[in-house]
Parts: sequence; C-alpha cells; structure tokens
Amino acid sequence: MCFNSFFFLFFFMLINFFFFVYFIMNGLSVFFEWEIISFNSMSIVMSILLDWMSLLFMMFVSLISSVVIFYSKSYMNSELNLNRFIILVLMFVFSMVLLIISPNLISILLGWDGLGLISYCLVIYYQNLKSYNAGMLTALSNRIGDVMILMVICWVMNYGSWNYIFYFDFMKNDYVMFIISFMIIIAAMTKSAQIPFSSWLPAAMAAPTPVSALVHSSTLVTAGVYLLIRFNYLLIDMFFFKVLLFLSILTMFMSGISANYEFDLKKIIALSTLSQLGLMMSILSLGFPDIAFFHLLTHAMFKALLFMCAGVIIHMMNDIQDIRYMGGLSLYIPLTSLCLNISNLSLCGIPFLSGFYSKDLILEMVSFNSFNLMVFILFYLSTGLTVFYTFRLIMYVMINDFNLMMIYNLYDEDYIMLNSMFVLLFMSLLSGSFLSWFIFSYPYMIYLPFNLKLMVIYVSILGSILGFMVSNMGIYSLNKLLLSYNLSSFLCLMWFMPNLSTYGLSYIYLNFSQILFKNIDMGWSEIYSGKGIFNILKNYSVFYNIYQMNNFKIYLFSFILWFMILFIFFFI
Amino acid sequence: MLTNNNSNKMFFLFILFFSTLISISSNSWFGCWIGLEINLLSFIPLISNSKNLLSVETSLKYFLTQSLASINFLFMILIKFSLLKNFDMNNIISIMMNSSLLMKMGSAPFHFWFPNIVEGLSWMNNFMLMTWQKISPMILLSYYFNKNFLIFMIIMNLIIGSLGGLNQTSLRKLLAFSSINNLGWMIFSIMISENLWLFYFLIYSMMIFMMISLFFLMNMYFMNQLFINNMNFFIKLNLLINFLSLGGLPPFMGFMPKWIIINFLLINKFYFLTFIFMMTSLIIIYYYIRIIYSSFMFNYFKMKWVNLLMKNNMSLINLSSFISISSMILSTFIFM
Repeated sequence: MCFNSFFFLFFFMLINFFFFVYFIMNGLSVFFEWEIISFNSMSIVMSILLDWMSLLFMMFVSLISSVVIFYSKSYMNSELNLNRFIILVLMFVFSMVLLIISPNLISILLGWDGLGLISYCLVIYYQNLKSYNAGMLTALSNRIGDVMILMVICWVMNYGSWNYIFYFDFMKNDYVMFIISFMIIIAAMTKSAQIPFSSWLPAAMAAPTPVSALVHSSTLVTAGVYLLIRFNYLLIDMFFFKVLLFLSILTMFMSGISANYEFDLKKIIALSTLSQLGLMMSILSLGFPDIAFFHLLTHAMFKALLFMCAGVIIHMMNDIQDIRYMGGLSLYIPLTSLCLNISNLSLCGIPFLSGFYSKDLILEMVSFNSFNLMVFILFYLSTGLTVFYTFRLIMYVMINDFNLMMIYNLYDEDYIMLNSMFVLLFMSLLSGSFLSWFIFSYPYMIYLPFNLKLMVIYVSILGSILGFMVSNMGIYSLNKLLLSYNLSSFLCLMWFMPNLSTYGLSYIYLNFSQILFKNIDMGWSEIYSGKGIFNILKNYSVFYNIYQMNNFKIYLFSFILWFMILFIFFFI
Repeated sequence: MLTNNNSNKMFFLFILFFSTLISISSNSWFGCWIGLEINLLSFIPLISNSKNLLSVETSLKYFLTQSLASINFLFMILIKFSLLKNFDMNNIISIMMNSSLLMKMGSAPFHFWFPNIVEGLSWMNNFMLMTWQKISPMILLSYYFNKNFLIFMIIMNLIIGSLGGLNQTSLRKLLAFSSINNLGWMIFSIMISENLWLFYFLIYSMMIFMMISLFFLMNMYFMNQLFINNMNFFIKLNLLINFLSLGGLPPFMGFMPKWIIINFLLINKFYFLTFIFMMTSLIIIYYYIRIIYSSFMFNYFKMKWVNLLMKNNMSLINLSSFISISSMILSTFIFM
C-alpha cells in the first residue's frame, strides 16, 4: 500500500511539474467548468482552475505527501492498521488538491471541511486521552473557519454564482463584499492558527510525526494563506487586512518567544511553524501575495524535513520528545543531523539555502517600503527570535552532552526514512533559488542603506549568541525561570490564550451557570413564581371559603341591601 | 336524563324548555318576566325529591333566591316603564335590572347560592342548572346592559370562579366554580354580539355535557372517588381530554371559543381585561390538572381492589373523546 501510493503521488508530482513549467513559461491558465444545474438565478457549477500557482502548489503538496508516505512505511511499521493510516493520508491529500484547484466556493468548502475532518481523524490516531483532547481542540477551532466559509457561501449567492474570482474587479466597494472579506479573513485565521485561534497548533502535536510533517507543516496550515492569496485582489485595501496584519505579526512574535521556553521537541517545531505562518500572513497583508506564496513553498520544504528528522530522533530516544534528554547527536547520527542542521539553518535564513531567498526578500521589502515602526521592529525581532530558538535547539540536541541512559542505540541506517529525507534535503537546498527564478520574472527593486541591509545579519548573530548562552547548562546551573516565574509563565504558555479556547469555553460557563441555578432557579424564582404564588392563591382561596360558608339569610339580605343602596342613589 | 321513571318529570321538562322560549322571544319586558317565572315554577318539581331531606332544602333555597330575583326584575321593569321619560335615570335602572338578572344566573357577586345548590342536586339536574337555566337571563341581559357595570361583574366572576375552586374537593362544587368562571367569558361575549355568545354557549354546554355524563355514569361526586378506583384506560383518557378541553388547552375543542373571545378583546383594546382572563384561566387549568395529572404519567399509583370497568352504557366515551380532540381542526374544513 505504501509503495503504491508513493509511486502514484511521485508520478503525479512529475506531471504537475511538467505542466507547471509549461504553463508558467507560456503564461497559460486553464479553466474547466461543468454546469451541474442552473436554477432560477443561481448556477451550480463544478470548476477547476489550473494556473501556475495551483500547479506549483499541487506539485509541492504531492512531493511532500509522497515522501511522507514513504517515510511512514518505516516510521509506523509496528502499526497494525497501517492501511487505515495511509488511506487517511491519501484522503487528506485529495481534499487539499480539491482546495487548491477550485475557483469555486462550494468546492473550496468541500476541500476545507475535508481538511478539517481528516486532520481530526489523524490527530486522534493514537487513541489516548491527550490525543483526544488535542483532536477536539483542532476540530472545533477549524470548525469556526468552516462556519465562516458557509456564511460566505450564503452571502455570495447575492451575486449569482459561487465563482468568486469573477467578481473581484466589479464589486469591490459593495457592502456584501465587505462582509465576505471579513468572514474569509476569519476563516483563514482559524485554519492558519493566527492569534485568537492559535491554541490548536501546539496541541495538535499529539498526532503521529508523519502527520505533523505533512499536515501541520505544509498543507493544512497553509490552506488559510492560500485562500487569502486567492482572494487577494478583493482584500487588498480593506480594513480587516490591516487587522490581520496586526494579529499576524503578534502571532509571529508570540510564538517566537514561546518557542524559547519549550522543552518538547515537536512543540518547538510547531511554534516555529506558527511563527513562520505569522510571517506569511503579515507579508500577505502588507500587499505582497507572490512573496507570501514563495515563502509558503520554501517553508513547506524545510519544515517537513525538520519534522521528519524529529521523528527519527524521537524513535531513537525511545519515544522521548523532551530535548533535555537529548544531546551530542551530531556525533552519532551524522546523516540525520545533516538534514536537521540544513533545515534549521534554512529556517534561520542563512545565505543561499532555500529559506534565505524568501525570508530575506520579505525582510528587505519590509525595510524598503515605509511601514509602521511596530511592524518593522516586530519583524526583525521575530527573525532574531527564530535564530534564537533554532540555535538553542541545535545546542540542546546536537552539541551538549547526551542526557539519556547509559545504554543507547542510536540507529541511523534506516534507509527508508533517510531516503525520504534526502529527497526533501535536495529540494530544501535548491528550491529557494529554483522558485525565485521561476516565479519572479523580474526581481524586485530594493535599494537600502548599508546598516539596514545588514540588519538581518545583526539580528541573526545576536540571536545565535543568545541561543548559545541560554543553553549552557552545567551541574550547578540555576533555573532562571524560577526567578521570574510570573513573567516566564506568561510568555511560555502562549500569553494564556489557550485558556480562551479551553477553560474559557467550558469551565467559566459551567461555573457561572451553577451560581445562576442555585440562586435563581432554586432560589428567588421559587418565591416569585412557583411555590410563592401557590401559597398566595391558596391563602386567598381559604379566605374566600370563609365568605362562602355563610348563613343563607345573609345572601338574600345582602342582595336586598345592594338594591337599597341603588335606590338611594336613584332618589338622590 | 330521561332514565327516571317519573313521567311528571318529562312534563315539567317540556314546560321548562317552553318557558325559556317564551322568555327570549317575547315582545315586551313583561313577557320576559312571565317566562322567567314559569321557568322557576317548572324547575322546582324537577329538582325536589320529597324522600331526600337535602333535596328538599336545596329546592327551597333555589326557590327563595330565584323568586327574589324575579320580583326585583318585575319591579325594575315597572319602574322603567313609569319613569321612561326621565332619560338620565337609564344608568341606575339598567344596573338594577342587570343585577337581578345576574342573580338569576348565579353570577358574582350574587353567586353565593350557586355552589350550595349545586352540592345538593344530582348530576343531570346540575347539567340543566348549569346550561339551560342560563339561556334566558343571558339573552335578557343582552337587551339592556350597562357596559361598565358588566365589565366589573366580569372581573369579579373570573376571580371568584378561579379562586373559589382551588380549595374544593367536591366535584360538583368544582364544576360550579368553573361555571361561574365561564359565565364571565359568556357575559363578555354577550357584550360583543349575541351570535358569539351562542357559539360560546353551545361549545360550553357540549363540554359540560360530556363531563357530567361521564361523572354520572361513574357515579362520582367527590375527588377522592377518582383516585381510589382503578379506572379503565379509556375512561381516564376521556376524563383527561375533557378536563383539558374545559380548561381551554389548545388542540382541544374548548380552546376555540376562548380564542375567539380573546381575539375580540384585543380588537376592542381591552388589554387589562385580557390579562385577567388569561391569568384566571391558568388558575382554573391548575386545579383541573391537579385532578387528572396522575393519568398522564407513565408511573402512577393504582389501587387494584375497586375496578371501574367500561360498562355498556359507556360506549359513547370514545366518540366524545374524538369530538373533543378533533373539533377544532375539523371545523376548519367545514366552515372555511
């Protein structure tokens, strides 16, 4: 099963590559449309848009997924139901491809919902309590985005069809488009884990490592960015785009800080993914969709590679993910540490690896155009933080002493996993330059003063020095975290925002409702309705009964009395 | 009600019907009074049974109150005729005439005789008292009523009908207070139109007939008799449906007249009166449901030593349940 799907996806990747080169060289784009039904004023069509962007993205997705499936043949070989896993991964890839090629909101919804659902199934794959909680958090956060896309479908029915790409030029200033843009941005924010919805990405690391490599590094989380890239013409001078800028640079900054406090290997990589997602969203909201797409693709390469190396290391450490137990691995597993180092350095933006082309271009565009001071500072600060946690990770894992038990078996010769990592290594080295030559037909004009140009290098060097110094541990080192406990816990726990999605949705309401129930339902409303009114009525009825049980003469006499009173009025 | 062996009762029943027709179809007020008197005279032999002391006392009480009311009515008629040229006396005279008619009906605040007398009569006589005896005073009321006075009487009827019934255990008194409450609704409908009153009255008498015939066949006079028996399921269901219908709960027949009257209330902007109508209705439904709630629970307390079986004369119970449930919906097919 693994080999079949690997070959199929690899072949699919080659086809996509060929067509991508053909389309981008000739400037072609093909639009297939099949009208299923046309009803009053709505037409339901199934459309497929093949232009260079969708073909390129499909090529990358199929490459990474083929490599991941090949990798999981060895990683998950002790799994009884491996076929189930492979089928889930294939369905995931299918949903992603459906999302990529669709210019139509209904098929985007199908792909989007499929992504959310299958990522839930994959996250809960190991059926323990932690995976269950993580899966619930993932699925429900993604569900918010699904609801937003459903509402966009409703609003776009205003315009007559669900092919949104035709309406951008004409309907830009419409009120309906304003609402649609708001909802699309919220949907992208939930899928790509920006600030209010960022709690699911570190939690989703409870999934198996191949899933993290495919889903949480390159495909699921970039679906939101891709959607915004497609909608870019609509969103470009809307107000919410500026809100998105603000939130995404805060995401970038916050996850960079939180990654420095983490000791779980996969969580560090997840927070680094979150930081790079913030970078992609922020450069997109500054108005450069092609640079965002470029960074999306190069990031996919080296992040998938990083996750796969982490998977090899975790296997070696007897399923321990804590980096404090690891160390000195560069001496024992040279090939894996080669892949790890190259992907880490590519993440930092070391010159002429693949990450350098996209990241450096982003930072130079931010410096060249005149933006906010806060934007500028946070961009560079986050770049420095990226280098900081990267070097800290390298120091802990590669350079410091080995901290596990005395007997160890660090096995590097698993060639299935290594071969799959080598494919990604090759792409991670070359994809930066290769993509920049393909995508940008002419380079961006950037003219910067000398120190501003070197600002990246200053920040990187500072980050690396700090990373080195922080990870110097000896027997007598003091845990500095305890000295600044409040601040450290604030920064470490992602600024307490996961509490919004977990405690804030269940515990707070249940607590409040208990107070309400005891005070009102079983308290005051018993007196003012229920028992209280019953007592009042019963007392009235008893009182009336005293009147009722009377002598008969009294009744007759009272009637006469009434008439005498009326007569008196009559004669007055 | 024709199952007693006395043919005198049949004779007096005929005169009772005829007297009401005299009263409502006469040209002058005097003819109305004549009809009322004949009504009283022919009802007394129907309810008196000289072998039963309670029955004799009841018929005596009935005679006293009704004759007092009739005398007053005659007197007011004569005053009205003799002082007709004085138009500013219209208000007082109409109040006095309405008071005497209200006492004949058993409406508050002259209702104190009504539960007493109802307690002393058998079920079929109760049925006559609660339905037929109300026809002629109501129609006479519609000829010359004072709106403000009547609205005040309506409110008193509703409140007394609901509050008085809360503390009762005798089924006859319960239905008496419910009858006083329904009198409130009927007096309001008289003020709107006679046709509306006819509609309400017909449905009310049909509901009362179904209830009273059920109690008569089961020979039940008190509430504890309902709980001691082990009733057949259909009897319980019929009891449930009829009580809820009498209370005015929607899918049943009794909701329709109340709904139409509330419609007219709201059209004529009697908002506060609507509120009182609703709230007293709720209290009435409360004490109906208190009687029958055990019959719509899944687990109920069943005494197994007194069995109430479906006898041969109870064969129309299913038909009455069906009518109560489906009348409202079927009426839309007929009258639309």
